[in-house]
Amino acid sequence: MPKELEPSTCEKNFVLEALKENLRIDGRNFESFRELEISFGEDYGLADVQLGKTRVLARVSAEVSKPFSDRPFDGIFQITTELGPMASPAFETGRFTEQEVLLARLIEKAIRRSNAIDTESLCIVAGQKCWAVRVDVHFLHHDGGLIDASCIAAVAALQHYRRPDVSVDGEKVIIHTLTERVPVPLSILHIPICVTYSFYHGGEVSLVDATLQEEQLRDGDMTITLNKFGEVCQIAKAGGLPIGALALLQCARIALVKVQEITAFLQKRLEEDSAARTRRDNLLESTAQNAR
Amino acid sequence: SYVEWGNTKIICNVGGPNEPKTGANRNQDRATVTVEVCFAAFSGNERKKGAKGDRRVQEMQTALQRTFAEAILTNLHPRSEILITLHILSQDGSVLATCINACTLALIDAGIPLSDYVVACTAGSHSVRSGTNFEVEGEDPLLDMNNIEESDLPGVTIATIGNSEKITLLQLETKVRLERLEGMMAVALDGCRKLKEVMDDIVRTHGNEMARRGAL
Repeated sequence: MPKELEPSTCEKNFVLEALKENLRIDGRNFESFRELEISFGEDYGLADVQLGKTRVLARVSAEVSKPFSDRPFDGIFQITTELGPMASPAFETGRFTEQEVLLARLIEKAIRRSNAIDTESLCIVAGQKCWAVRVDVHFLHHDGGLIDASCIAAVAALQHYRRPDVSVDGEKVIIHTLTERVPVPLSILHIPICVTYSFYHGGEVSLVDATLQEEQLRDGDMTITLNKFGEVCQIAKAGGLPIGALALLQCARIALVKVQEITAFLQKRLEEDSAARTRRDNLLESTAQNAR
Repeated sequence: SYVEWGNTKIICNVGGPNEPKTGANRNQDRATVTVEVCFAAFSGNERKKGAKGDRRVQEMQTALQRTFAEAILTNLHPRSEILITLHILSQDGSVLATCINACTLALIDAGIPLSDYVVACTAGSHSVRSGTNFEVEGEDPLLDMNNIEESDLPGVTIATIGNSEKITLLQLETKVRLERLEGMMAVALDGCRKLKEVMDDIVRTHGNEMARRGAL
């Protein structure tokens, strides 16, 4: 399995010394995210997120299937995150690397276990038919911050997606096509966003959103997932540098501010996209006028 | 070591420092720590022949490995491997915390150099009054949750190292409000401190016993 290229000793010393003097290589301050850019696809349910140079694509699709036998009233909701060689030459397809497992578990805990989607609303006929919603996250370029970017991409795609409308007639279930009836958005209860912190120099320096180079040199890391209401969905600090409790709480408070900013930005982007979409669809219907 | 914490029972076995089994684990300047966790089929509420490749188990293994890689003085044993094996015989909540405590005791018994005790504890939060109530009396942190409490209430697992109150591991898997988190963390840190004294007592008693029997 090819190992990632480790930074050279010169680079390592330079980055760590700069951090001691409150400087980051790309000039950000310690608490700011990189430039976030979200765009949506032509079809419903496709979100493309760029966080600096890291690029992640999330795709939502749904099909009708049988619910699990122990949960007849719930729909099925799955998230797959597979790291492939497209993101970085260090990754291989085949799911046994530690990083991949941690990433998958984190995203699953953040979105699935915290009930971001109301699975009961996905039920069509109890015990027989339900919607199985599937989110596929594809990593296009790895420059650090994979967890944050994939979480944003997944929730953006879920909010963007519209599923076909269904009508139940006794035992028969009719699925209407997208042109027959207006498609229905998924019922989203809250929007979790992940913020990853990296620690250096015995806990004195903590950075938000590390680039790949900063990630390779860090001593410890912690990922907090919050929604804009101030609820913590999950915290994962798996070993690494020991940090004081107060510092961690401070990180959590800063993370809350960041999460609110990102949620507002995401909302703005979604509104822009839906405005563009209505303009496009309306034009398709009728006019004899030229677009001026 | 064998730890029984309420109804949660875990056996931990430490081997090493040994020659690494795979060449990939050989690290020139420090020892590698490998953790294997095995849930017994009879440990939970229903009999489950838990698959070894289960992601939850792998995540637990990684968390333990990273925690102890920090605590063990690995630069004293370069190019070797320390293998920690855990068998979980009975689960009744606080499984990860009990694993960490069992590992610490086993490592001390094996004579592997640790920088300090790694002690772990869980805490949960129970709201006395429901609704939007931000008064401190409205929340009630609980220390050390069992299975029933863990499946219903939000809970956090915290592991501290030594007396410094610095946190090595923090895991929260359920939704909780940020304000309540502070109370939970305070209670857990207090619990860890008391637990460290208990563990220290046990280690010293055991050490004295072994010295008396002439094993040392």
